[in-house]
Amino acid sequence: MTPVISVTGLTRRYRDHVALDQVSLEVEAGSIVGLLGRNGAGKTTLLRILAGQEFPSAGDVLVHGAPPAENEAVLRRMVFVREDQTYPDFKVRHALRVASWFYPNWNAELADALLADFGLPAGRAIKKLSRGMRSALGIVIGLAARADVTLFDEPYAGLDAVARQIFYDRLLADYAEHPRTILLSTHLIDEAAGLLERVIVIDRGRIVLTADADDLRGVATAVSGPVLAVDEFTAGRVVWDRRRVASRVSVVVVGGLDEADRLLARSLQLDLTPLTLQQLVVQAAAQPADTLERTSA
Amino acid sequence: MRTWRDVARYHLVMPWLVVGMPWAITAFSFVVNLIIFDLVPPGHHGVLTSQGVVQVASASHNYTGAVCIVYIFFIALGVSSIGRSLPFGLALGVSRRSFYAGTALLGGALALADGLALTALQAIEQATDGWGVRMHFFRVPYILDGPWYLTWLTSFVGLALLFIYGMWFGIVYRRWNLTGSAAFIAAQVCVVVAAVLIVAWSDAWSGVGHFFSGLTAAGLTGLLAGLAVLLLAGGQATIRRATV
Repeated sequence: MTPVISVTGLTRRYRDHVALDQVSLEVEAGSIVGLLGRNGAGKTTLLRILAGQEFPSAGDVLVHGAPPAENEAVLRRMVFVREDQTYPDFKVRHALRVASWFYPNWNAELADALLADFGLPAGRAIKKLSRGMRSALGIVIGLAARADVTLFDEPYAGLDAVARQIFYDRLLADYAEHPRTILLSTHLIDEAAGLLERVIVIDRGRIVLTADADDLRGVATAVSGPVLAVDEFTAGRVVWDRRRVASRVSVVVVGGLDEADRLLARSLQLDLTPLTLQQLVVQAAAQPADTLERTSA
Repeated sequence: MRTWRDVARYHLVMPWLVVGMPWAITAFSFVVNLIIFDLVPPGHHGVLTSQGVVQVASASHNYTGAVCIVYIFFIALGVSSIGRSLPFGLALGVSRRSFYAGTALLGGALALADGLALTALQAIEQATDGWGVRMHFFRVPYILDGPWYLTWLTSFVGLALLFIYGMWFGIVYRRWNLTGSAAFIAAQVCVVVAAVLIVAWSDAWSGVGHFFSGLTAAGLTGLLAGLAVLLLAGGQATIRRATV
C-alpha cells in the first residue's frame, strides 16, 4: 500500500530554535494516527507544513504523492482543524456555509447533527463563542468535510469530558462509514488511545516512536516490589525509570512478558502493571530515540 | 477558476460589511454635507473691488469632495479581506494563489459595481441641480468631471487601485506584523523621495509640470491603472510565502 503522507528528512528552523529536526514518517491511507508529544514538541508545525500553511526549511513532504504547498489538487482533499484557528467576523452558520463550498464530500446533515450534539448555536458570532464551543466548531467542520486527509491539531481544547466523548464516538462512527486518513494530535493520550491505530511520538522536533497501537499494549510493564526481588526479576532486561522508596523499588521493564515471567513475578511477590499508552509516551519521550523500536521489534 | 469564484463568495457570505458599509458611510457623509450646504447659501463669495469686499452671488459650484470617503473605505476593505480571512481560507484547502486571485476578482467586481452606482448618483446630482441646494457631492473637478463613461472608468480604476493597495498592506501585515508595515510605508516614502530627488537633480521640474498640466483625466486614469497593475503584482509576490 502506498502511503498517503510521506515525509523525509523534514526540518523546520526558526531563528533561535529547530522546531522539526530531520523528521521522517509515513502514514498509510485509511487509518487513524495519533500524533503525540508535549507542548512545543513540533506537532503543530508538522501539521501546518502538511497542510501547506507553513514551509519546510529542508526535506520533502508528499501528500497523495505530491508536495502540498500551493497544490490545490492535494489541498482540496485535505482539511486542517487547528486549536487556534482565526475566523473572519462570522457567525457559526457562515463558517459552515463557506466550508461546504470547498469540500466536494461535505455532508450538511452530519454538520447539523454535530451542531445539535455539541449544542452549538448556528446564529452565534464566532468571536462570542467560548473556547470549548470554538473547538466544537472546528470539529464539526473537520468531520463534515469528509476530506481524504483530515488533520486535527488539539481539536478539543476547552471541551468538557462529555463533549470529548461525543467527538470520539462521532469520529469513529463516521470513519467506519467513510474511511479516510485521520491524523490527530493530542495531549489527552489515554482518552484517545481507544481510537488510535498507530501512534507517532514526537519530542523536541524528533520522532521518538512510531508503532501500531496494538503492538504497544503490554510492551512495557511497571514492576514494583522489594529491591532484591525486583533486581532478580529485571536481570538481563531493558529497564527504564527506576524509582526507589525506602526498601521498595519501582521500575519499568520494556519488552513483552510471557507466562513464565508472570509466574516468576508472582513467586517474588512483585506487582505487575502494564503501562498505559500515556505512561509509555511519557517514558519514550525521556529515552534516547529508537530504544523502544529496537526492543519491540 | 471555480475556486476563485468560491473565494469571492466567501468574502460575500456576510454581505453587510463589503456591500452595505461603503454606502452606509457615503449616505452618512452625504446627509451631513446636505445639511451644511442647506444652511450655507450657495456660491456667495467675497470679491475685492474698489468699493471694498462685495458679496457676489455666483451661479453654482459648491464642491465637497466628500465622496472620497468611499475610496478610503476600499483600502480598509482590501486590508480586511486578507488579514481577517486568509487563515480560514487556507484551513479550507485554498491555495494562496487562488485566494489572492479570488479576492482581487471580488475587489474588481465591487469597484465596477460601486463605480457604476457613483456614476448614476452623479447623473442624479446633475439632473436635480445639486440635490436642490447646488451641492456637488459626486462630481469632483478635473478627476470626476467628464462624461458618464469616464466617471465610471475613473471610479472603477480608483476604487480597484485602493482595494489592491489595501490587500498588499494586509499581506505585509500578515507576514511581518507592525514592524513590517512600518517598513512598507517607509519604503513607499523612499520611492517618492527618490523620484523627487531624481527630478530635482536632473532639473526636470518644468518637464514634469508640463506633463501633469497636459494630462487629461483619462490620461491620469490610465496612469492609475498602470499603478494598480504594479501593486497587484507586488501583492502576488508577497503572498506567495505568507504563513498562517
